[in-house]
Amino acid sequence: MAKESSDIKNIDRLIHEPNRLMIMAQLYVVESADFLFLQNQLQMTPGNLSSHLRKLEDAGYVEIVKEFIDKKPHTALELTGEGQRAFKNYKENLKQVLDDLPK
Amino acid sequence: MCGDLELSQVKLKNIEKRTYMSYHQDGLIDIFIGIYILAFASGILLKTFLKLNTWFIFPAILPALLVPVWISAKKQITVPRIGYVKFKAAGANKMTAIFVGTMVAGVAMFFIFAFASTQSWALALRETIVANGMLFIGAGALLVTSLFGFTIGLKRLYGYGLLAMIFFAAAHFIAFPFEVILVIVGATIICCGFVLLYRFTKKYPVSQGE
Repeated sequence: MAKESSDIKNIDRLIHEPNRLMIMAQLYVVESADFLFLQNQLQMTPGNLSSHLRKLEDAGYVEIVKEFIDKKPHTALELTGEGQRAFKNYKENLKQVLDDLPK
Repeated sequence: MCGDLELSQVKLKNIEKRTYMSYHQDGLIDIFIGIYILAFASGILLKTFLKLNTWFIFPAILPALLVPVWISAKKQITVPRIGYVKFKAAGANKMTAIFVGTMVAGVAMFFIFAFASTQSWALALRETIVANGMLFIGAGALLVTSLFGFTIGLKRLYGYGLLAMIFFAAAHFIAFPFEVILVIVGATIICCGFVLLYRFTKKYPVSQGE
């Protein structure tokens, strides 16, 4: 019981929120994506997406990369190394917690 | 705890496939595949009617011309509507592996036909392929399109492969010209591509700003 509660405590609450979890999962499977692509894929409003991205950026999980594509400014979003590690840990911890539950 | 729900949503493979699918829902890949098939047919028609022995150069150099146009069309049509995504190298590597595998299989066939004709097994294989050429081409088309479809999660590529297989199998039994089958398959795929492109532009109007 003590082990289970410690496993649950290891779950990253910042990632655990469903919208942020989907943002992290989407960015985990690609190299980078822009705001419009995430908005379309996740069916989120600009305000909602921007607010969750800010929280993930503040935590150091998401990086905003300003670049030029065909001489036009472009803002891409990608997971940082820390963000990738945090997401992997989150997946493993959550799986552990669920696997430990009695059937 | 709502972990069950979230874990079921975080099937990363599914998310990856959905991302590929949404990137190719514009129909551009279909249009370009169709154009390439038509170009191949045109090459054969040039050989038949104009007796051009260099016909194979046309479909051979076409990918070099089509790929930059496809990239440009993606930038002009797709990105302003659904945004920009850069895929991980692993996905691109899989596509490259299938492409290279197809090329290697093609080269192997060429060697069987051109150089190994003195070997009895190669002669027998060549005769079998020549006798059932349309069936082999149809099966090859089905295999290659299915591999690409599976890799990028585009189920309609299975349909195109099946369509090609049906036409080539029919041509085997009713002795229909190869280039006409190519024109029918290519034109059908182009039509599907334009329908998808029309639906895509209606579903995703151009977004203002980045």
